[in-house]
Amino acid sequence: MNQELQFKTIVAQYCEVKPEDMTNDMRFREDLGFSSLDFMSFLGELEDTFDIELEEENALEVVSIAQALELLDKLQQEG
Amino acid sequence: MGMLIRDILEKSEEDFAEIKAVKWLHKKEILERSYHELAGHVVTIRKGLLAEGFQGKHIALIGTSSVEWIESYLAVVTGNTVAVPLDAGLPGEDLIDLINRSDAEALFLSPKNQALLGAVLAECPKLRKIWMLKEEETEAVDEKVASLTELKRAGENSQDDAKRPSADDVATIIFTSGTTGKSKGVMLTQNNLATNVNAVNYTADPGTVMLSVLPIHHAFCLVMDWLKGFSLGATVCINDSLLHLVKNMGVFQPEVILMVPMMVETIYKRLAAADPAIPKQALAANVFGGRLKIIFTGGAHLDPYYIERFAEYGVNIYEGYGMSECSPVISSNMPGDHKPGSIGRPLANAEIAFDNGEILVKGSSVMKGYYQMPEETAETLKDGWLHTGDKGYLDEDGFLFINGRVKNLIILSNGENISPEEIENKLALGALVGEVIVTGENNGLTARIYPDMEVVQAKGLKEEEVRAGIQEFLDQYNKSQPTYRQITGLVVRKNPFVRSSTKKIKRQEALIDEPLPM
Repeated sequence: MNQELQFKTIVAQYCEVKPEDMTNDMRFREDLGFSSLDFMSFLGELEDTFDIELEEENALEVVSIAQALELLDKLQQEG
Repeated sequence: MGMLIRDILEKSEEDFAEIKAVKWLHKKEILERSYHELAGHVVTIRKGLLAEGFQGKHIALIGTSSVEWIESYLAVVTGNTVAVPLDAGLPGEDLIDLINRSDAEALFLSPKNQALLGAVLAECPKLRKIWMLKEEETEAVDEKVASLTELKRAGENSQDDAKRPSADDVATIIFTSGTTGKSKGVMLTQNNLATNVNAVNYTADPGTVMLSVLPIHHAFCLVMDWLKGFSLGATVCINDSLLHLVKNMGVFQPEVILMVPMMVETIYKRLAAADPAIPKQALAANVFGGRLKIIFTGGAHLDPYYIERFAEYGVNIYEGYGMSECSPVISSNMPGDHKPGSIGRPLANAEIAFDNGEILVKGSSVMKGYYQMPEETAETLKDGWLHTGDKGYLDEDGFLFINGRVKNLIILSNGENISPEEIENKLALGALVGEVIVTGENNGLTARIYPDMEVVQAKGLKEEEVRAGIQEFLDQYNKSQPTYRQITGLVVRKNPFVRSSTKKIKRQEALIDEPLPM
């Protein structure tokens, strides 16, 4: 499974949208219906799945799939 | 004759001295403190507060859960001082307002919130001292700022301990959303809190592991995780971040957790998304850490669906009901005495009555009043009866049920009470916002906005530009707010809201005759 699909499969656990129907401009809370806690839990799963460490404050500024993928890429490159 | 929080703690130290009272993570290592050690730290800080001249004063705390936070809090409430726990996630201007309105003369501040220091020093003239909640020494940024270690040193060098407070003395002021848009400081006495701890009819073996996952400035967390947990001799473990809730259940392997419904809903999504081939027992061990048996929920109504689903994973959920004004528990389901859909039987110290369906409560855990708000106090407390703002009934077996609300407050499933007016006042400042009503939907807040047509016409804006402009304004607003006060839905109205004869917007009609939220 490629990374983006793996990422979207995690997103899909928290919403009714299938990974293949997700577009990168979708916003977690407004478009996908994440609760504030869904988003925190999702970030925790990203840490475990991709072996990264998120700083809570930076991570909470992320609102869309595109921004989250960008942050993931950045952290993996740094790591 | 009444009870003191100090009585509870002293008895715990006596009965459970060597049992671990608190465990927490420092990087990846688990650190711990026994009941005897915790009591030692609490007494030292209490003596320090006395030595520094804070007898009888109000002392605020800003920070998320930490051992330093809880021992400082306990030091304040076991002496002749009043603790004012504040929500560390609030914008700086709101925190400054609450520090000033609560007449706090000292502040315990978490290092994570160190950025507030400058503004707090400049704008809170009554503050005489700020202690950073960390063990290391603090760089001398200002003569008013010191570390917790320095306060402890003052306590170690002093012989005198604070006198025992009286049972009717205010122990804590907890801020809660006001229906008029201004948060209110709920004054809870020693007896209010201590009798609430006592009246919750739950027992557990000493050393039972609890995981504290709620915000510590909330009464439910403060009284039921910490004070109740300590009264039982439980080992209370600190969840350092909601990002790591599931991971930390694996680390600490709790047996009991207090949650708000939103947490139950989120965890259920993870359970439901798992491969159905995985046996439920194995999945439960993976998600809950392997020993979890009980979740107590409160703060908002929980759909009974989750109670049935979690039972399949060996976890029993017991729903309760309370509010800060009642210290906070009013009723709760309990192991061996529960009814799904209800909020349990009222506590032994809570008398219940109804006024046009509204639940009224009287008893030893009902607050003294709102701090410096006599009018609001008189509206809520009448002849000793607290008007909850919730509608409900008692069934033939004595279980309490809720079926509506009297006041405008929005109760989100994370237990946060939101005053729509408070947020509407802020959103009304947007240049494109003509009229605004905030509603609670799908676990979040939706802003229904009728644009300011004069501005729209003057700028010649098209429909999609109006929407984009308002969304941009909301994004800016959201950045300055804690997640529970952020707006996650937007409806741009084509027509103004319907108003009553007194020109007030009719809230109940705000949803009618308009498109669905995007």
